[in-house]
Amino acid sequence: MKKIKEWFGFFLLKASAILILGIVVLLLLFIGIQGAKVINLEFLFSFPKEGMTSGGIFPAVFGTVALTLITTFFSIPFGIGAAIYLSEYAKEGRLVSFIRASIRNLAGVPSIVYGLFGVALFVQSLNLGASILASGLTLGLLTLPWVIAVSEEAIKSVPKSFREGALALGATKWQTTRLVLRYATPGILTGAILGLSRAAGETAPILFTGVCFWLPKLPGSIFDQFMALPYHLYILSTQHYDLEKVRPIAFGTAFVLVSFVFGLNLIALIIRTRLRKDYG
Amino acid sequence: MDKITTEDLSLYYGEKRVISSINLSILENNITAIIGPSGCGKSSFLRCLNRMNDLILNSRLTGKIFLDGKDIHGNNTDVVEIRRKVGMVFQKPNPFPKSIYDNVAYGLRIKGIKKTSQVSEIVEKSLVASGLFKEVKDELHKSAMELSGGQQQRLCIARALAIEPEVLLMDEPCSALDPASTFKIEDLMSELKKSYTIIIVTHNMQQAARVSDWTGFLYLGELIEFNETSKLFTAPREQLTENYITGRFG
Repeated sequence: MKKIKEWFGFFLLKASAILILGIVVLLLLFIGIQGAKVINLEFLFSFPKEGMTSGGIFPAVFGTVALTLITTFFSIPFGIGAAIYLSEYAKEGRLVSFIRASIRNLAGVPSIVYGLFGVALFVQSLNLGASILASGLTLGLLTLPWVIAVSEEAIKSVPKSFREGALALGATKWQTTRLVLRYATPGILTGAILGLSRAAGETAPILFTGVCFWLPKLPGSIFDQFMALPYHLYILSTQHYDLEKVRPIAFGTAFVLVSFVFGLNLIALIIRTRLRKDYG
Repeated sequence: MDKITTEDLSLYYGEKRVISSINLSILENNITAIIGPSGCGKSSFLRCLNRMNDLILNSRLTGKIFLDGKDIHGNNTDVVEIRRKVGMVFQKPNPFPKSIYDNVAYGLRIKGIKKTSQVSEIVEKSLVASGLFKEVKDELHKSAMELSGGQQQRLCIARALAIEPEVLLMDEPCSALDPASTFKIEDLMSELKKSYTIIIVTHNMQQAARVSDWTGFLYLGELIEFNETSKLFTAPREQLTENYITGRFG
């Protein structure tokens, strides 16, 4: 009887794993097969033509890569900095608990809310206009709580014995923090990159802050508007005048976007395994 | 000569008193063992001596500790300075996930000694002193995590010795080690006492009897008895000490 129970429990767990894996594989296969039909170098590196019914998606690829870089630039240093402060320097108390709870809550705010906030703060109040900078900053805000939370977890998971070992050798607080950070780096980077990959696929926050339906040229500066993969996909699948005709291009765009996000996750994986090797 | 003296030393974690008015003098170039059952406060006591308890929230210390006659909590005492003079080896070996060489060099580098020739020289000297050099001399750049537990602990000793402390605190340094490694470390201790003052916390009475010159018996945070090791183990003054060393409790 016990054996049967165990077998059944195990079967359930296995079944759920296979189910999830199956869905993911199916999704990827679907996008892959559909998208592969239009993917080639020309598709990646040329501008859309004839009302987007032919040509490539280069400005959208460029826009998403540039946007992700701007997002990285703002969310990673500030996020890690805040995490170091919270975990190493801030005195535990009501204020810190409140800050921590707020960060957790911010991570759950819907992305469209960030979009509206971005319009109010960056586009209007700070007068940046609808631009790739305003969008990057908005996405930066969106990823910030995530980056802070994963970084803090990573810092906390460094064993206490490292800290004590360093302090006992006469390390100052800052020297100890630096050592701790070194061992938290794989965790921090993994989390941060995963956060960025989520931001790269967002549409809502960039919708009002700078993304464009169609542009004849690439953004020349951070104050220009831009095209982006997720928004391009949205347009091609719901807003275009000839949806049937652009469907293959939409799948191609989806394929490129998914590959980009996958690429980022793969980088996270490689960094983690590389750096973990030194741990023994 | 007295290296460390404590005066009416008490330690509290929150409301709980873990150490009660300990008065103790520790002689230079001697090995002093602190024994007692689990939870008697012996590790907490040891951690007072290099101010490691500073890290614990809600911990509060009353009384005084003098190192060479200087109050280690005094206004113009630098805690970093204290920890450089009073090195520590922990219960569980805690090498950094760096190479063997970099582990020993860490203390030097953070102290500001950067010259490669000088660092190499001290690293080698420290590894020789901890008895590890022969075993690792050809693979100094191998990760410390690949060493055995006993080797890791001797590496931690080398790391502590590299910054030339005057006192070495050892918190149950052999409790995670096999008998052969334990024997090596005990051997090493008698060698080291020529140049260092050693205080070792142990729950292993045989170990205390084997290696130490002086022994203190701690029970529920109080120092029950302190005497020369030979006397404490053969003719304890207190009934409680006798009960403990004859294995009636603990």
